[in-house]
Amino acid sequence: MTAVASAPTTRAHAHASTAHRLSFTHLMKSESIKMLTLRSTWWSLGVTAALSVGISLLIAAASSDIGGGFPAANVILAPTQFTMLVAGILGAIVITGEYSTGMIRSTLTAEPRRGAVLVAKALVVALVMAVTTVVIYAVAIAVTAPLVSTGLDWSTPSESLVPLALGVVSMAAFTLIGLGFGFVIRSGAGAIAATVGVLFVLPIVFSLFSFAGPSWQWILDAADYLPVNAAVQLTTPGGTEIGQGALTLAAWALAPLVLGWIALRSRDV
Amino acid sequence: MIVAEHLTKRYGDKTAVDDVSFTVAPGRVTGFLGPNGAGKSTTMRMIVGLDRPSTGSVTVGGQDYRRLRSPLTEVGVLLDAKAIHTGRSARNHLRAMAATHGIGRSRVDEVIELTGIGSVAGKRAGKFSLGMGQRLGIAAALLGDPHTLILDEPVNGLDPEGVRWVRQFVRHLAGEGRTVLLSSHLMSEMAQTADHVIVLGRGRVLADAPLADLVGTWTTTTLLVRSPRLADLVSALQIPDATVTATEPGAAQITGVTAQTVGDLAAARGIPLYELTPRAGSLEDAYLALTDDSVEYKTKEIA
Repeated sequence: MTAVASAPTTRAHAHASTAHRLSFTHLMKSESIKMLTLRSTWWSLGVTAALSVGISLLIAAASSDIGGGFPAANVILAPTQFTMLVAGILGAIVITGEYSTGMIRSTLTAEPRRGAVLVAKALVVALVMAVTTVVIYAVAIAVTAPLVSTGLDWSTPSESLVPLALGVVSMAAFTLIGLGFGFVIRSGAGAIAATVGVLFVLPIVFSLFSFAGPSWQWILDAADYLPVNAAVQLTTPGGTEIGQGALTLAAWALAPLVLGWIALRSRDV
Repeated sequence: MIVAEHLTKRYGDKTAVDDVSFTVAPGRVTGFLGPNGAGKSTTMRMIVGLDRPSTGSVTVGGQDYRRLRSPLTEVGVLLDAKAIHTGRSARNHLRAMAATHGIGRSRVDEVIELTGIGSVAGKRAGKFSLGMGQRLGIAAALLGDPHTLILDEPVNGLDPEGVRWVRQFVRHLAGEGRTVLLSSHLMSEMAQTADHVIVLGRGRVLADAPLADLVGTWTTTTLLVRSPRLADLVSALQIPDATVTATEPGAAQITGVTAQTVGDLAAARGIPLYELTPRAGSLEDAYLALTDDSVEYKTKEIA
């Protein structure tokens, strides 16, 4: 602290500072810096990549024994049922980490329009997860190519490009579900529990009813509206229920965020 | 300029801040004093829009903080040093904060330099000592070169050099015509730093006055008098509200009269004086008198 001698430099800045203003672009940049400068982000993305590529390799190796009939896109998309958890948890800790450390107070004094903070965060986490997933898919396609008997048929988008693109969208949606729960619950443990509960535990609970009588069929029908099953509908190559899956998943991604926005704008921090 | 009007904050049936009104004027350092739980931090959080007042309002530069389009250049805030993600390095924290306003890297480097955290800027904030965390918080508050600074306990955990730096720095900023509001528990520090003091107690404003007036009103100046003919001097002092307390043979503490009166009287009567020392009360004395439970709701006019 060499201190007071350097203090007068602040005066010159008083004029320059009038040019510095909040904008949504600035906010997006700030949120990107925040997300990409935490180790937890890189750990989550690394685990997602390792799980995804690893499981794709295993499936590819096994698929040559399965023989034909196993859609090539599924080799790449199947790991989603595991990586979705990491995506959801990443979304949750991006915001709960701010609450547990008090960073949220710095965030909201820099940008007091809380809705803008929520939207910027949502866009950044969705974008980071989408870009990561594109890279993961590219790597997975490259490394599994030697193992699969029939590769992706790029000339039929409904069997290749469309399910893969929707897989990217699904991963972004899972991240947003976690982020939304994080904004609502604020505590890391609570938000992760809620996210894992919705993504992983509920589908298991619902599936238990497949052994029950026809009077319980409505529960199995309702299970179609869980985020995981919606994502399956969305990404099934040549699938016919893409519309329903897209609507369901979008609702799951947006509903917690809307609740989070209501909590954020009304509560003290 | 910060203007609070009838600010009230209730948590359930507990009233943390109770109908508080004050103005923090530019060009001087305003100290915010009060015991723990008096409502200082809650008031500061309401000023920057983190807590919503139950009733009343507060503006910064004439505007609600939440409506500011460039809050970092208007107001620099240090609410507590812990408002920083522990997993992020100091430099990256400042970069992220600066990015919200399009403030460039050069200013980030400048505030790092200014607050003396250059050697640890690459370290994660969670590894920082309390003092380093304070410096980082102050660096963040300075990023936008703001017109108004709100610093909650800025010297908490700082070493003596840092304490002196903060004092000189905020005085310098006030000298430039900026508005500075800072809270501190260190009375001696506040006495050297603040021009004006607002004292809160149990959520209410107990005093809002220039520092000298506050000390003058709430403390008494004591004269230490030493004389071989003390008894003669005391009997000559026929002033009704003067009190004399003998401390040791030939010495006494006298209150209620000025040193001038005693000196003139001694000279007129030919009484030798070995010592005549006025001892002014301190801000701490005034603060304790003000915030003492027994006087908490006593009102006293401060000119």
